Amino acid sequence: MHGMRGLSVFISDIRNCQNKEQERLRIDKELGNVRNRFKNEKGLTPYEKKKYVWKMLYIFMLGYDVDFGHMEAVSLISAPKYPEKQVGYIVTSCLLNENHDFLRLAINTVRNDIIGRNETFQCLALTMVGNIGGREFAESLAPDVQKLLLSSSCRPLVRKKAALCLLRLYRKNPDVVNVDGWADRMAQLLDERDLGVLTSSMSLLVALVSNNHEAYWSCLPKCVKILDRLARNQDVPQEYTYYGIPSPWLQVKTMRALQYFPTIEDPYTRRTLFEVLQRILMGTDVVKNVNKNNASHAVLFEALALVMHLDAEKEMMSQCVALLGKFIAVREPNIRYLGLENMTRMLMVTDVQDIIKRHQAQIITSLKDPDVSIRRRALDLLYGMCDVTNAKDIVEELLQYLSSADFTMREELSLKAAILAEKFAPDLSWYVDVILQLIDKAGDFISDDIWFRVVQFVTNNDDLQPYAAAKVKEYIDKPAVHETMVKVSAYILGEYSHLLARRPGCSPKEIFSILHEKLPTVSTTTIPILLSAYAKILMHTQPPDQELQSQIWAIFNKYESCIDAEIQQRAVEYLALCQKGAALTDILAEMPKFPERKSSLIKRAEYSEADTAEQSAIKLRAQQQTSNALVVTDQIPANGATSPVSVGQLSLVKVPSLVTTENDTSTDRALSQQNGASSKVDPQPPSADLLSDILGPLAIEGPPGATVQSEHNAVSGLEGDSDAVDGSAIVVVEEQTNTVQPIGNIDERFRALCLKDSGVLYEDPYIQIGIKAEWRGHHGRLVLFLGNKNTAPLISVQAIILPPAQLKVELSLVPDTIPPRAQVQCPLEVVNLRPSRDVAVLDFSYKFGTNMVNVKLRLPAVLNKFLQPIQVSAEEFFPQWRSLSGPPLKLQEVVRGVRPMPLPEMANLLSSFHIMICPGLDPNPNNLVASTTFYSESTRAMLCLVRIETDPADRTQLRMTLSSGDPTLTFELKEFIKEQLISIPTAPRSPAPSAAPPTAQPSPQIPPNDPAAILAGLLS
Amino acid sequence: MIKAVMVMNTQGKTRLAKFYEYLPVEKQQELIRGVFAVLCSRAENVSNFIDAESIFGPDSRLVYKHFATLYFVFVFDSSENELAVLDLIQVFVETLDRCFKNVCELDVVFNYSKVHTILDEMIFGGQVVETSSSEIMKAVEEISKLEAASNAITLIPKSASGWRSR
Repeated sequence: MHGMRGLSVFISDIRNCQNKEQERLRIDKELGNVRNRFKNEKGLTPYEKKKYVWKMLYIFMLGYDVDFGHMEAVSLISAPKYPEKQVGYIVTSCLLNENHDFLRLAINTVRNDIIGRNETFQCLALTMVGNIGGREFAESLAPDVQKLLLSSSCRPLVRKKAALCLLRLYRKNPDVVNVDGWADRMAQLLDERDLGVLTSSMSLLVALVSNNHEAYWSCLPKCVKILDRLARNQDVPQEYTYYGIPSPWLQVKTMRALQYFPTIEDPYTRRTLFEVLQRILMGTDVVKNVNKNNASHAVLFEALALVMHLDAEKEMMSQCVALLGKFIAVREPNIRYLGLENMTRMLMVTDVQDIIKRHQAQIITSLKDPDVSIRRRALDLLYGMCDVTNAKDIVEELLQYLSSADFTMREELSLKAAILAEKFAPDLSWYVDVILQLIDKAGDFISDDIWFRVVQFVTNNDDLQPYAAAKVKEYIDKPAVHETMVKVSAYILGEYSHLLARRPGCSPKEIFSILHEKLPTVSTTTIPILLSAYAKILMHTQPPDQELQSQIWAIFNKYESCIDAEIQQRAVEYLALCQKGAALTDILAEMPKFPERKSSLIKRAEYSEADTAEQSAIKLRAQQQTSNALVVTDQIPANGATSPVSVGQLSLVKVPSLVTTENDTSTDRALSQQNGASSKVDPQPPSADLLSDILGPLAIEGPPGATVQSEHNAVSGLEGDSDAVDGSAIVVVEEQTNTVQPIGNIDERFRALCLKDSGVLYEDPYIQIGIKAEWRGHHGRLVLFLGNKNTAPLISVQAIILPPAQLKVELSLVPDTIPPRAQVQCPLEVVNLRPSRDVAVLDFSYKFGTNMVNVKLRLPAVLNKFLQPIQVSAEEFFPQWRSLSGPPLKLQEVVRGVRPMPLPEMANLLSSFHIMICPGLDPNPNNLVASTTFYSESTRAMLCLVRIETDPADRTQLRMTLSSGDPTLTFELKEFIKEQLISIPTAPRSPAPSAAPPTAQPSPQIPPNDPAAILAGLLS
Repeated sequence: MIKAVMVMNTQGKTRLAKFYEYLPVEKQQELIRGVFAVLCSRAENVSNFIDAESIFGPDSRLVYKHFATLYFVFVFDSSENELAVLDLIQVFVETLDRCFKNVCELDVVFNYSKVHTILDEMIFGGQVVETSSSEIMKAVEEISKLEAASNAITLIPKSASGWRSR
């Protein structure tokens, strides 16, 4: 390849071109030459063909279209000799896309190369197919590629390419490539020793599990094993050690694959994994060598992501946050960058927000980092971590930074500051301050929605009006102000400057002249707003001021002939109105309050968040876990008194709510239902465009009477507890109860929670109830996380626990109202009195708008939560087993209708209930012996022993023997295990189906040939 | 998955461009220009990451490394780990260095086909196929030998067993 002189000469020629024109001429000449040569292909040697093809590729790279020679390229694939074939494959994969017709011509040849025995050809063909990945390729080649991957006679070089070729075909055509039954083969591939093949196989696994993790559970322990092997540096060849680190790439990929499994249930696997993760977290230091640093931190950051995904114990999480806190302050910029990015992801994990807040100062420093990439990450993080407690600090930092921020970031920065100010304003005057500062500092980046929103708040809030008017006057007094500032000032001063009339410098005349000074500097879109302001100022001037009147009339006169229709119309109408005298006061009266509506800004923010939702594992998980991730406020105590800045404070200023209902239209509909009569009187839809409210002719046409009604509706609807609403609500409630559909399957959620200690118990469009539990002996501490997903409060929240007889449950006070987008935590103490399989029920209800929602949810405080695995040795087991000789302490039952499962799976199932398998105690490989400790107040800690004998010939039946020191416990535990073994996945708690013997009483008979007894006898 | 690999010099001239999803040539050039515009304005001693979403659309990341007169740029999606991709750039450059003994821009320019071959042995259809620099070299040398052999005698071995030994 070194010796392609023609190619070198051509490249030199191109390099010597003085300008683009010369280059084009040279290239056209070359293309003509190549085209000619290809025409009489007969005379071309393979070497020449190759040379020309590389020239074509070079030209293509320089940005010139090469639209000939495709046919020639494809036909070269079928050449018998290597060089021609190679050239054919290379050029085809570079120049042709997957839909190119010519590809069809090559399929047979490609297939022959793949199934043929020449490894070089196999590699060429696989590379081309993998790069193009077309549908027809997938249809006709996927099975052959699968075979290559699994073939033991193939070299690793071929197999690793086959793995990725298959992956590409699958990604592009998941409907064509059949991967059913691949789980076993995948598991087999993970046993591969060659790290090259393993690397490719791992990528393939990631693609497969990301689509359907259920089928690949068997791969999970293997991944952990691979990770363990790498982390311990066992059997890793030198060539895969990168700066002293055993294949960082494979470590990263393996951890990525693990993030697609929702959880790890097998305790052994989980423990091994956490040991590895712990070692990675603790054992990685920042070193001098940049490359080594990068590689070790690649592994470390992936480990962090995995820990977050697995929702490890709080201790480990805080360890992660502490590490990240260290990273965001190190010198190495890449690590600072990723530290910030991962902290942002960390925000989605509950409980760590407070720890992250401790690093606020450092994060703010990063906002001044020399690297714009890092500054962006810092901005994202500050935006994500902002809540009512730190909004003031963060937003003020953003404002300060705005003046020095680079141009490319200003728009995003100002938008984010505006959104945060709106969402978390501790008081509205502060909100007004922030937005005015934004307009002042970055007017060019302030979209109309931002200033519309300020106007809306000021209008709806009487207390705010004089403040806002005084504030805008300060700004507009400055010599040079942004046009947006002129707009917002003109509007607010027009409406409310009369409230300032007694202050110095605020007489109508003075206000008018300040505003009018700006008129020559503004564009035609602003002039109508100024004209409206003049008309309003004039109207408010009492007693009338002749001089001012003639000044303003002169202006209207002047614009009567304006070429801009909007300006002209306003001028004409205002002039006519002014001359009507008293009627003017009615018509130009203060604007009515705006109907509550969702902030378009916040809508935009949510939209863009949904829009960029990537399919990464972390995001997937975040969606499952907290869909209310936008804001998580601190726990708000039921009485709301101790929280220094509670959301509720906002309502003190009589603004309905800063953030309004998520579901505008449904609320509107509900409102019009309540006030059926008035909705006929008031046909104006409250969802009218804000723009039309302010810029449109509403100021003249809308007599207050007509709109006041709708405003009243909006307010009463939001307050929700006014008599009128309540009165009608009773009827509505009856109709609407349970119209709210839960998201996800409640049964499945419950079952999942029986096996793990945190997750979502219930979710619907308004609320998400998460649960986190800690179990110690016979005590349990659960926390219910009640998350309001909306921008309106949830009211009449009630939670009652209906405990079964064996549990003592105390629920702390649940607040009556959950503020918008807030999450409330309610601790729940559980004491287990005695063994029983009965389940506690949470009777939960709330009201959203007029929807009364009531759900009854089973709480995962189930029998197995009070079990703790214990490993019992043969010396301990047998004496105990023998001492409990028969019923009622030892019960045996033949169970039929068992869900057939292999023994390891059954062992896993038991482990997941904290019943620990004691391997080696039973010499028969078809039997399982297990032990566990049960905790309750009556039994204290009590050892339970289990023996399950299975019949390899008939997996649907088994014999189970249980023993413990308490008859109820023995019975309950036996029934519990039985339910799990025969359970039909959809109804775990329903009594056993017909397959189970209807006699609930245990069969007291232990046959004389009890194998356990014999076994014990033999071993003792 | 890796979406694209680009090598360009500090003047903005493309030295290698490989897109793993088909794009028309004009679009490729537009993206390369977009990347260069950002890269050339970046200082030394800053991070190796730039915001790629504004150029390549949602769910894209970009990692680059600057060596002498060349920028090595990898574009990928969120299924890859950023620092691991940075390692990959290092592996690519170290392999080029092994291959050309103190690699410089001119080596990349005049051995365009060889650089391609190396990249193909490392990245396959947007996925990493090999991370070991010595394994990549082995594969590339096998191909070179085969080419040399066929150039000399225009005859290819029936099976590849001849170069099976490691």
